[in-house]
Amino acid sequence: MDASLLTENLSYILPEIVISAALIIIVLFDLIFHNDKRIIPYLAVAGLAVAGFFIIDQFSFEGSAFATSSSANNFGMITVDNFGSFFKLFVVCVSILIVFFSFSSEEIQKTFDRLGEYYALIFGMILGMIILVSASDLILIYLALELLSLSSYVLAGFTKLRDRNSEASLKYLIFGGVSSGLMLFGISIIYGMTGTTNLYLINPLLQAPNLNLITVSFAMILIFTGIGYKISSAPFHFWTPDVYEGAPIVITAFLSVASKAAGFALLIRLIKTTFVTFTSPDGYWQLINAFDWQALLIIISIFTMTLGNFTALWQNNLKRMLAYSSIAHAGYLLLGLVVMSDQGLTAILIYFVFYALMNLGAFYIIMLIANKTGSEEIDDYTGLGSAAPFLGVSLAIFLVSLTGLPPTAGFIGKLYIFIALVDAKMIAVAIIALLNTVVSLYYYVRVLKHMYLQKSDSPKDAILPSTGQILFILILLVPTLLFGVYFTPIVTFAKNSISLLGF
Amino acid sequence: MITVGLEHFLVISSILFSLGLYGVVTRKNAVMVLMGIELILNAANINFVAFSKYGNFGYDGQAIALFVIVLAAAEAAIALAIVLNIYKTFANVNVDEIDKLKD
Amino acid sequence: MENSQLLTYLLFTPIVGSLIILFIKPDQEKLIRWMGVFISGVAFVISMIIYVAFDSSNPAFQFIHKVLWIESLNVSYHVGIDGISLLLVMLTTFLTPLTLISSWKGITKQVKMFTFSMLFLQAGMLGVFIALDMFLFYVFWEVMLIPMYFIIGVWGGVERIYAAVKFFIYTMFGSLLMLVAIIWLAVYASEPLGYFTTNLLELYQVGPTIPNEIQYYMFMAFFFSFAIKVPLFPLHTWLPDAHVQAPTAGSVILAGVLLKMGTYGLLRFNLPLFPQSSVHFAPFISILAVIGIIYGALVAMVQSDMKKLVAYSSVSHLGFVVLGIFAFTTESLQGAVIQMVNHGLSTGALFLLVGFIYERTHNREISYYGGLAKLVPFFAFALLFTSLSSIGLPGLNGFIGEFLILVGSFQSQVLDSWWFTIFAASGVIFAAVYLLWMYERVVFGKVTNPKLEGLTDLDAREMFVLIPIFILIVWIGIYPSTFLDISDTSVKTILDNVINNTYNFFS
Repeated sequence: MDASLLTENLSYILPEIVISAALIIIVLFDLIFHNDKRIIPYLAVAGLAVAGFFIIDQFSFEGSAFATSSSANNFGMITVDNFGSFFKLFVVCVSILIVFFSFSSEEIQKTFDRLGEYYALIFGMILGMIILVSASDLILIYLALELLSLSSYVLAGFTKLRDRNSEASLKYLIFGGVSSGLMLFGISIIYGMTGTTNLYLINPLLQAPNLNLITVSFAMILIFTGIGYKISSAPFHFWTPDVYEGAPIVITAFLSVASKAAGFALLIRLIKTTFVTFTSPDGYWQLINAFDWQALLIIISIFTMTLGNFTALWQNNLKRMLAYSSIAHAGYLLLGLVVMSDQGLTAILIYFVFYALMNLGAFYIIMLIANKTGSEEIDDYTGLGSAAPFLGVSLAIFLVSLTGLPPTAGFIGKLYIFIALVDAKMIAVAIIALLNTVVSLYYYVRVLKHMYLQKSDSPKDAILPSTGQILFILILLVPTLLFGVYFTPIVTFAKNSISLLGF
Repeated sequence: MITVGLEHFLVISSILFSLGLYGVVTRKNAVMVLMGIELILNAANINFVAFSKYGNFGYDGQAIALFVIVLAAAEAAIALAIVLNIYKTFANVNVDEIDKLKD
Repeated sequence: MENSQLLTYLLFTPIVGSLIILFIKPDQEKLIRWMGVFISGVAFVISMIIYVAFDSSNPAFQFIHKVLWIESLNVSYHVGIDGISLLLVMLTTFLTPLTLISSWKGITKQVKMFTFSMLFLQAGMLGVFIALDMFLFYVFWEVMLIPMYFIIGVWGGVERIYAAVKFFIYTMFGSLLMLVAIIWLAVYASEPLGYFTTNLLELYQVGPTIPNEIQYYMFMAFFFSFAIKVPLFPLHTWLPDAHVQAPTAGSVILAGVLLKMGTYGLLRFNLPLFPQSSVHFAPFISILAVIGIIYGALVAMVQSDMKKLVAYSSVSHLGFVVLGIFAFTTESLQGAVIQMVNHGLSTGALFLLVGFIYERTHNREISYYGGLAKLVPFFAFALLFTSLSSIGLPGLNGFIGEFLILVGSFQSQVLDSWWFTIFAASGVIFAAVYLLWMYERVVFGKVTNPKLEGLTDLDAREMFVLIPIFILIVWIGIYPSTFLDISDTSVKTILDNVINNTYNFFS
């Protein structure tokens, strides 16, 4: 590879390089100046901001970098396209919020002397995610997935303050290890059948007439195991409640939003580049007959949301309840993919933006309350509406938005999913999703009921957030309400972001 | 004389994969589960190398196998650290008995 | 030239007002209460201005204000009214200040949040009645649930939490079904229209052309949602809980306005959008309505709790309205519209009276009372007057509505059977039985309960709340044309549309 090609290829992965550099700087800084750990978060934000700048710079640019030796044409390991840039930007924005999130977390502050490790691991996750969303080679996908997973295994048990931290870590590790192992085995089968691991090159080979479809299906189900585990869709969700409950809240929030988004980006890219022959003028994707993704995803998504919602009904720990709720949301998000159309993809992107706002908001407030009361049990939220008026109202709005009631952003997200479903004439599926929403209403409202309607036996101490914390909540709260009534910019942004390289 | 062909490798890898999956499902000891995971990874490795050799796909498969070996080592290191931590808190490493988080 | 912004002013008065109230300190209870009354009073004045400027001979929607809101979905902020909406808007703006005044004594905790919720609720209700865009309609429809949930849940009775959650889940279920139907309709209509829109007026053109097999499903989805709200037998089970547990002001608004949103929805959406299905399903729905009339009345008869009795009487009265709507004659539809207003006034007044007496004794059991005529003569008279209005005594408002509905259903070609009229008419008799029997037990006889000694009669504030309602009750009873004229043209437009699209039924 000559030098000019190398620099060109490197310029495609500037955001990844920035994140890697930031990771190294954080580690080195931690080693050299171990008395100035306070500066590390600022370094992190600065690194993310620079990466964000390069990502925005890459918008409306398409290209493919690092073509492997065996591939005759230009498709390489990494693609740069709007779809990938959208998710990279999403991950970076969420990460910046997570850094601020960590400021207020008592769990993280208690382990202040390991702050350098903490941020190094966070950056490991970020790097894994942004490679994952733009990788177009199964091996790079596997490596990125492992980088993401290995960092998050450690982070799930990072604080070691309670037994449950280690337990979360172990459970995450075992489920993650098995599913990524299965995924690798699936990749090896695909490699054996096609002789390549590049998604773009697999596509034409899968259209070969004498392909053994059973083997392809077997390999795809194995690969889906690895992805399904990342997006916590049933039946690979078993780790989710335990890990979400056991991990520090910051990490729970990060996993539930960013890691899930990366998993979805991977799934969408896999399906669209490997299994779609062309997109019809009205936006519907024409799938290769090799594997019926649509049937698999319909079953998985209905199963996921029903299971998530019904199990959430009898949770008493708010964190655990939100874990099940996040499983249910994965089900709604999968619905956007089920329709296999550009409308559905737009709906997913819109949903993710809103989901990030409301989910991070809800977790943040739960953390502030847990900082004071030391509990995440819903019963301990009784009477909180008057003890912490601002936090109470904000949490209520975030939960209402998670339910999907107007005039909040969550409603708009669901609306677009429903429109995509109805447009694809999947009205029965839409009605199942709707019944699920009614079920979800019950457990979200239950929290409101405890906060506002029930009388507390003992008077609660007032919980007063600091100005910075109020500001952080407002950053999440204002868009949640604003996008409920005016969401054109997000929709336009999402519509511009659905283009994948080559499609 | 029997020539060793692709089928032989695939049979070996299938057996390894099945053993690994069996170990993951049945073993209660976390270390044994991790060994099951290693078996699955190595089954995939055998596949990669065998396909690469017999399918004339170049050296990609063998390079991939190297990557996976490195990754498996990293995963084992982290996994054992976590298991050690579990052993310190719970005084055993049985997956079934570590269940403070429950519905 | 009519002022097209008037409706927007009307809608935003309570919204802005509720926001202003948020900035008042919670301990300024008196100021907050007066503010609430003042703001809802302003809304009432605006609605009166609209009434004066309204041209009741014009069948089209008036005061239309349309601003493009969401480009990507072609959704507009699009409001406008016809005669039916105007009547309900006036009912809303009329009842809200009165309920606020009536709650001065009953609501003592968290006055600020209460006033805020009530104004917010009012904005939601007005929005529902004036929205001409389905998306906008849906937003208001849902937004209203949240303040109502809190009104029942925070200031309600002992079982308030159960009632609030039940209310929320029931209505939410229906409205989500409606959401799917709205999207389905809009997506379906985007083919003949060539673009995606949720504009009701444009969808009116498409709705009747939808083939029956699809229309039936859409009709059912809308109908289900509205039937829960009405509530139509057998979907009524949330209503007694919600009514009984809600504070007086909540019950009045619930009975007076919220239930009307269901019947309004039937008139505004089901009939014009799906005329074929409306006629097709009319007999089944009318059977349910008649069952509701009789069932509500019979259950009301055996209640020992006054508020529950009034709540079940609502099921019965709303059955009349639904029967009137699905009989498809001018008289029955007119009767249904006027009956919506009547029910708001009579039942509202009944809830107020029960609330007033409850504030004094903290007991709603009928057996607790007796001989109130001697103790509190004004109250006794007011209760008699309201009961007679609710029963449908000629000369008072209830008579007009029920009479028109019965006459209309008797002539109905769609129902084509007297039995509906005969059974429905029996509901009137039952109403006389349960209300007068309740009245007899509460008011007449000797004072048997020593705790009732020293009961005070209605004070000036309570009189002030009741008298405007009484004036309207008599007005509608004696000279209904004032009100019938408002909705006359609009009702005929809806009916003509149904007839034109289903001429084989009416030929």
